[in-house]
Amino acid sequence: MITFMLNGKEIQVEVPPHWTLLRLLREKLCLTGTKEGCGIGECGSCTVLLDGMPVNACLILAPKVEGRRVETIEGLGSRESLHPLQKSFMDHGAIQCGFCTPGILMSSKALLEKNSQPNREEIKEAISGHLCRCTGYHQIIEAIEALKE
Amino acid sequence: MNMRQVGIEIPKVDVLEKALGEAKYGADLPCQEPLHLKVLRSPTSHAKIVRMQMEKALRVSGVERIFTAKDIPGKNLVGTIVKDQPILASDRVRYIGDAVALIAARTEEAAEEAAQKVVVVYEDLPSIIHPEEALHPHAPLIHEKGNLLLEFHVIKGDVQKGFKEAEVVVEETYTTTWVDHAYLEPDAGISYLDEKGRITIVCPTQNVHYDQKEVASVLSLPLDQVRIIQCSTGGGFGGRLDVTIQCLLALAAFHLKQPVRIVYSREEVFQVTSKRHPLTIRYKSGAKKDGKLIAIEVDILGDTGAYASYGGTVAIRSAVHATGPYQVPNVKVRSRMAYTNNSWSGAMRGFGVPQMAFAHESQMDLLAQALKMDPIEIRLKNCLRVGSETATGQTLTASVGIGETLKKVKEWRDKLSLLKDDSKKPFIKKGVGIGSMWYGIGNTGIANPSTAQMEIDPDGEIRLFTGVADIGQGSDTVLLQIASEAIGVSLDEIRLIRADTAVTTDAGATSASRQTYISGNAILDAIKNLKHSAIQEASQLLNIDENDLFFENGKVKSRTCLTTSIPLREIAKRCAKILKGEGSFDPETTKLDPQTGQGVPYATYAFATHLAEVEVDTESGKVSVNRVIASHDVGKAIHPQNVIGQIMGGVAMGTGFALMEEYVPGEKTSFVNYLIPTSKDVPEVIPIVVEDKEPTGPFGAKGVGEPALIPSAPAILNAIAEAIGQRIYDLPANLERVLGAVQKRKLA
Repeated sequence: MITFMLNGKEIQVEVPPHWTLLRLLREKLCLTGTKEGCGIGECGSCTVLLDGMPVNACLILAPKVEGRRVETIEGLGSRESLHPLQKSFMDHGAIQCGFCTPGILMSSKALLEKNSQPNREEIKEAISGHLCRCTGYHQIIEAIEALKE
Repeated sequence: MNMRQVGIEIPKVDVLEKALGEAKYGADLPCQEPLHLKVLRSPTSHAKIVRMQMEKALRVSGVERIFTAKDIPGKNLVGTIVKDQPILASDRVRYIGDAVALIAARTEEAAEEAAQKVVVVYEDLPSIIHPEEALHPHAPLIHEKGNLLLEFHVIKGDVQKGFKEAEVVVEETYTTTWVDHAYLEPDAGISYLDEKGRITIVCPTQNVHYDQKEVASVLSLPLDQVRIIQCSTGGGFGGRLDVTIQCLLALAAFHLKQPVRIVYSREEVFQVTSKRHPLTIRYKSGAKKDGKLIAIEVDILGDTGAYASYGGTVAIRSAVHATGPYQVPNVKVRSRMAYTNNSWSGAMRGFGVPQMAFAHESQMDLLAQALKMDPIEIRLKNCLRVGSETATGQTLTASVGIGETLKKVKEWRDKLSLLKDDSKKPFIKKGVGIGSMWYGIGNTGIANPSTAQMEIDPDGEIRLFTGVADIGQGSDTVLLQIASEAIGVSLDEIRLIRADTAVTTDAGATSASRQTYISGNAILDAIKNLKHSAIQEASQLLNIDENDLFFENGKVKSRTCLTTSIPLREIAKRCAKILKGEGSFDPETTKLDPQTGQGVPYATYAFATHLAEVEVDTESGKVSVNRVIASHDVGKAIHPQNVIGQIMGGVAMGTGFALMEEYVPGEKTSFVNYLIPTSKDVPEVIPIVVEDKEPTGPFGAKGVGEPALIPSAPAILNAIAEAIGQRIYDLPANLERVLGAVQKRKLA
């Protein structure tokens, strides 16, 4: 049994010790917004925030999140109240197939929380761990840039 | 015409659920206690299957059943045109990754453990690695009919005479390699029997109706007993035009009568899905002193790998596009596609045209160099125009925007200050290169229809039915825009019902940049018929002659009595029935002559020119693409932001094709060693949209999906050649090749 904060709520859950955080989220907690694109930390599709830092959930063993704070796409915003990043991605054409989108949104959130005025190079750096095959990244970068204060 | 829905910036209709993480892709689909499927695959590239032993595997706790070729009730062969690929190999495997058994178990772990315990005894057969070797008269046969899948020719004029008249001739050989689609979503899906007992498969795909035919054939079922539903699809780029998991899922659900689920690993996706065809292109071009092309002779040899897939299509399309977007009076092209024991090649964004563009654009620069001409001037001198005749004898009558894309790029180029190498970093060399292309919209010289329906029910709901699979490129939005513009109601008033074989009809594949043009036109036809039936009904309701009525902005109106007007919804309500319009469209093409390739392969073509600015580090071999000016004639941009999105993504994929992407069968199995561009590898892109309207296109539209990618690699390679003074003839231009070229230049 592990206890951790998930999207602002404390949860307790049984999990086999060899399961990854990604598997726990997707299979046990039915939070399928976090995607598995490669399973070895190369594509960034499974990015969630752990204590505010972007991590590949496929590389984190589930028991390691005991007592920590995990944020996933499901906690980012809702239909009623979209996160500004979600709105900006929609408005800028930053979403094509959408498979990489949840992970990139989470990394973008972490970036803007740390640095509210990122320049283009900093944005590129912040999302460089994510593979996107559809967009060529430009409209994603523009969507993040538009939220500079 | 003042348009309200076409040409505007609106968020795509599918992006809200994607932004929220709610969209369900293959591995996200809810499924009640499914059995998990795992495929056992061949570790060797060519072998006889001597025997298989399942006993140990069947004893693994949780294993329900292991399927082999013997369990396939119907035809154990699939393929888009030539059906030669088994779902499960029965007696022979032809590439590393061929499926030999399918395990169904209660957990993924049990399925995997069982897969390791199946014993397969193989007897190795000689493997053929090179297509030249495959075509040797004494080569071992990979398929009984022989190792040549297809040979195709395009013959026009008299090349011998042409080369005699030529004042400059250049001849070179170009090679390209395997490229993986690298769509981000690994193939995954579920299958179950629906409430009507139909085998139902929900999965990512580019063509539900094709999948349905393949599954029905494999299971020997009537079509209506198979239902395919497309779920959110994490990219395609051609890789999901062939069936991937569909028949495996269906086979298991058919026998087990309970839900089943399969999720490919990334390694499996690399190993077993199709790749871009490696082509070897021998290209001879002749021109007059003024730069006018007079003859080309081209020989293309492609590697289709173990199975046909789209190999024939690529051979034909490569040949048809061999001239590039130029008028050439004398043309001789031979294009052959051979089987080998390599990974099978299939459709990938451009069907051979990206490879051909690398060759014809390198040739154009070589001619310009030999003639001391400006690379843009030589292209402008030769480019197709309205009235030009193509190599297949087709006269182009409208929407030939290649010249305009060149002029737009030229304006940019002329503004660029002369590139000067940085004196502090003499090892960094700068260069600018141009690449142009043409691309025929839709399938090549074959029937290519789409169908659609538009209806309104008495409760006022307006529905658009289309079989088109949106794979992220935005067809759902574009087709809704076309429908709402044509019928005169706002986009959110139309309910879209899509890509489910039980409720939609065949729209053909999301491929060949065809859905905006072809399915867009099918929808316009459906709306024309819906309007007609609305006018007929209104005529009865209002007791006004049909000829006095017309349709405008969602209403039927009278020509003579200006105050008479009845909304579409009102008509449906008052006549208490569903008003429906059936639509179809098949572009006007002709079959190509089997000897000479003459005919009308496509009803319309897209055109584009890219300019690339590069920096080459001559010490490390690293090429940085700093900027690409991407000028595209799309006919009409229905959704401009989407068009730009395609261009941006195409340039990124083209940069990967140019510089880094090289799949090696049996070796590259992950993103660790198969690299695709990241945010730090892509150039700045300046997109330029040229709208030379296509009279037969919906609101003038053509297509952009594949054209977006095609000119990038040629422009980048031409820029590298300018930067280092030495041309690279083999893709990708990776560090080793660039350093090799730098070395060659030093020795020269």
